[in-house]
Amino acid sequence: MTKTMWLAAKDLRIEMRARDTLAPMLGFAATVALVLAFALPEASSAGDDVVSYVQAGFMWVTVLFAGLIGFGRTFEVERAEGALDSLLLVPVDRSALFVSKALSNLAFIVVLETVLLPLSALLFAYDLGGSWGALVAVVALVDVGFVAVGTLYAALAAQTRSRELLLPLLALPALIPVFIAALELTADLLLGAGFDALAARGWFGILVAFDVVFVTAGAVLFDAVLD
Amino acid sequence: MRFGRTVALDGIELTLEEGITGLFGPNGSGKSTLLRAVAGLVRPSQGRITFEGAPVAAADEGWRRLVGYAGHESGLYPNLTVSENLELFGRLYGSNPARPASLLSQLGLEGRSKTLAGELSAGLKRRAAVARALVGEPRLLLLDEPYANLDDDSAALVTEALVAWREPGRSALIATHGARKLKAFADAGVILRRGRIVTQGRYRDSSQQRRPFHETATP
Repeated sequence: MTKTMWLAAKDLRIEMRARDTLAPMLGFAATVALVLAFALPEASSAGDDVVSYVQAGFMWVTVLFAGLIGFGRTFEVERAEGALDSLLLVPVDRSALFVSKALSNLAFIVVLETVLLPLSALLFAYDLGGSWGALVAVVALVDVGFVAVGTLYAALAAQTRSRELLLPLLALPALIPVFIAALELTADLLLGAGFDALAARGWFGILVAFDVVFVTAGAVLFDAVLD
Repeated sequence: MRFGRTVALDGIELTLEEGITGLFGPNGSGKSTLLRAVAGLVRPSQGRITFEGAPVAAADEGWRRLVGYAGHESGLYPNLTVSENLELFGRLYGSNPARPASLLSQLGLEGRSKTLAGELSAGLKRRAAVARALVGEPRLLLLDEPYANLDDDSAALVTEALVAWREPGRSALIATHGARKLKAFADAGVILRRGRIVTQGRYRDSSQQRRPFHETATP
């Protein structure tokens, strides 16, 4: 196992014991999904343009804010007992540190979505037909960029007193393109578009470009951010 | 070194020689800040800190490999066991896989190896923090109050671990209020007051009753 994997495994092991991150994320997501399920009129039907966009919007807004709860805790395991100093002094490349934190955040987001997507499908009566595979591809592309931005800004915010306030202030503007793309692509899927139709839309390219830019920026800038 | 209007360290000129140097001074004299600055965790607002001619910075991976640091807090992950903490840091420093077990034994922590670090008493946590700082076999060891909350037997274990670590080519700067414990085996001493060095020097003879700072004195 590489040092990156040891560090990511450490975060996951700690979460398995403390359940400080996933519990609030899942609790928030389940509550919001349940409340929003009552926001749509009973007569609304799957396949309707407006309904599909609203359903997709509900899902991604829930992922966005539940994710920010998790990202806000990225360095909390280091905050207790001054372990951040220990981590800052280990002879590990800072880009590897970024990747390890991003991997553990990605694991938390994947668990969140594994619970939220089926729950949303149930509550909102999604009709994806055979498009679940395409949805997973969209989710994967969104997650990479989301986690890269969240992890980078979590490191920046972690060193300030008002970190809970600063993280959403910094991350939300940066995340607008990725969540608009996620909304557009998911709404298309709910309207019955196939993978080929999705791939032909520019949103896919935007997601890929966003991922490349922010993963690279995270790996390159993490050193300066921690310094 | 300034924090806002507060001058934490002022006009510090210190050359750390081989061996163990005690850093003494009352609360608020700047001991912890000096250790953090030497580790590269805070950047001096003026002046520079060098190691073998190269500037010190925590951003430098090569520098981090040389340093073992334990601050006021233990620096351990409370939700990992003592053994998991040492193994993790041992792997990250690329140290000998047997090193964590050897340090557990040296610091009398074998019986607590499966205890979560967050559940240790203050004294045991201090010993585990010293073990963590030593796990990478650092060339420069920086410890802040390693004897805090320790009874005499535990303090003796820490002293033994430090003496075992001391080798040619290695240096330590150890801040403590417990000057008596450290003077018994330190090679040099520095006294800070209000962010300034008031006295520094090497002990004349380790076999004699030690009176510090025979060689140099900064008025």
